[in-house]
Amino acid sequence: MRTEHEGPSRPGSDPAAARLRALVIGTLALVVLASAAFAHGAARRARASRAQPARAALVRATGLPDLALSSTARWLRHPSQSERGAATQDLPGALDTDPAGALLGPPFPPEGE
Amino acid sequence: MRRGLALLVYALGSLRRRARRSVALALGLALATGLYASAVFLADALRAEYRANLDAAPDLTVQRLVAGRPALVPEDALTDLEALPGVRSVRPRLWGYLFVEAIEANVVVAAVEAGPELAPALATGEPLGPADALGDERPALVGPVLAERLALFPGDGLAIPDARGELVLLRVRGVFDPATALQAADLVLVHEATARRLLGVPEGEVTDLAIALAAPEEAPVVSAAVAERLPMSRVVDRVALERAYELTFDGRAGLVAALLLPMLAALLLMAWDRFSGLGESERREIGVLKAIGWGTGDVLLARLVEALVVTAGGVSLGLLAAYGYAFLLGAPGMSGALFGWSTLYPEPELAPATSLAQLFSLAGLVVGPLVAVALVPAWRASMLDPDEVIRGG
Repeated sequence: MRTEHEGPSRPGSDPAAARLRALVIGTLALVVLASAAFAHGAARRARASRAQPARAALVRATGLPDLALSSTARWLRHPSQSERGAATQDLPGALDTDPAGALLGPPFPPEGE
Repeated sequence: MRRGLALLVYALGSLRRRARRSVALALGLALATGLYASAVFLADALRAEYRANLDAAPDLTVQRLVAGRPALVPEDALTDLEALPGVRSVRPRLWGYLFVEAIEANVVVAAVEAGPELAPALATGEPLGPADALGDERPALVGPVLAERLALFPGDGLAIPDARGELVLLRVRGVFDPATALQAADLVLVHEATARRLLGVPEGEVTDLAIALAAPEEAPVVSAAVAERLPMSRVVDRVALERAYELTFDGRAGLVAALLLPMLAALLLMAWDRFSGLGESERREIGVLKAIGWGTGDVLLARLVEALVVTAGGVSLGLLAAYGYAFLLGAPGMSGALFGWSTLYPEPELAPATSLAQLFSLAGLVVGPLVAVALVPAWRASMLDPDEVIRGG
């Protein structure tokens, strides 16, 4: 069975220090990337909250809170407004025909209590 | 401190000696965690988008069902409902879908008032203005994705076939801000008369009724009263809708995540195999360490560090890659599959909504078991007689 062994260390180089340095550099790189992701996320959220009044004005004007994620079928475009079984109305019991149905199915009955 | 440092150096050296296996394992973990986390990130961001706008939705929406399908509601039902106790106002709504052959897409046509309340949502142009002051002109406000697709700007004419197939000339008065694309991508807002013409809805009938309540907590009582007054109605309650969204997203995002589970399971199995089985050389290494005076605790600690560096490194890389994939690149591939055959994609700029606690629990679910499983064989090997282990007994 072959095992990999470290070769003899070069004069002047300390393998222990090199390993620790690699760990510190790797950890620092992860921390920097994570901080960048957090900063980016915070900026996105700030932009979203600045746009919120405009979005709410649109929802108030139309009364339709659904997101325009998929415009093909009405049960995907406006799941809140579609009646139960809208996705399978022509073929009861059928699977959704649109892959978006994997994310946004006809919602659970939203009718009152 | 020195002892800890020495253990760390030893563990890193051990990882380096098995560099290819360690890197493959870390990358595999990164891929599996990353794919799973992307689905979670997207679902959380979309759920937050829905939640943000639910407050602006009507307390109750009353529709009419005929033969199991939505039907137009007679406008005079409005006076019946206005008289119900707890109802503050009832607004007739006129909206629907129109298939535009030129772009092979459905657009959502809705009638709105002329009011200036929509001005902040517009990127260019101005609100519709009062219907009676415009003569024969049919002004329209269009969504950003539709405007981009048809290269529309304020002042442009848009000839659109109505429900009967006759062309209706709309005058674009404003284009919605791309920041509202998730709400308005495919929207055409027009005056009531234009909406009736486009959708083919006769006078005296509307799509549905939106009810504002004096106290939203009375929704179940008013819903029951509405159902009694209008026997063929379906009442959508905003509070119940909120619950329905939670369930829909939890269930459906769970389904997407479940599709990735076999991959995650395979990776975890591979990692389990890597950590739980000790090769001959690793057993001998532990024997040598014991022979030169290492205690069981030292061996376990070195093994713990080794497992932690690989799994935590892999999982952190995976989470970071998932963030970049979902929020910087817009989840190409996954979003297309999730959002369906849509022709007017909004390309939303989603804001991350996953909490730190969720991130830590996701990472903990992968790192915890793998680190735990790495300790058992190391503990067993370190309990053996060093002489026996070194001689390969």
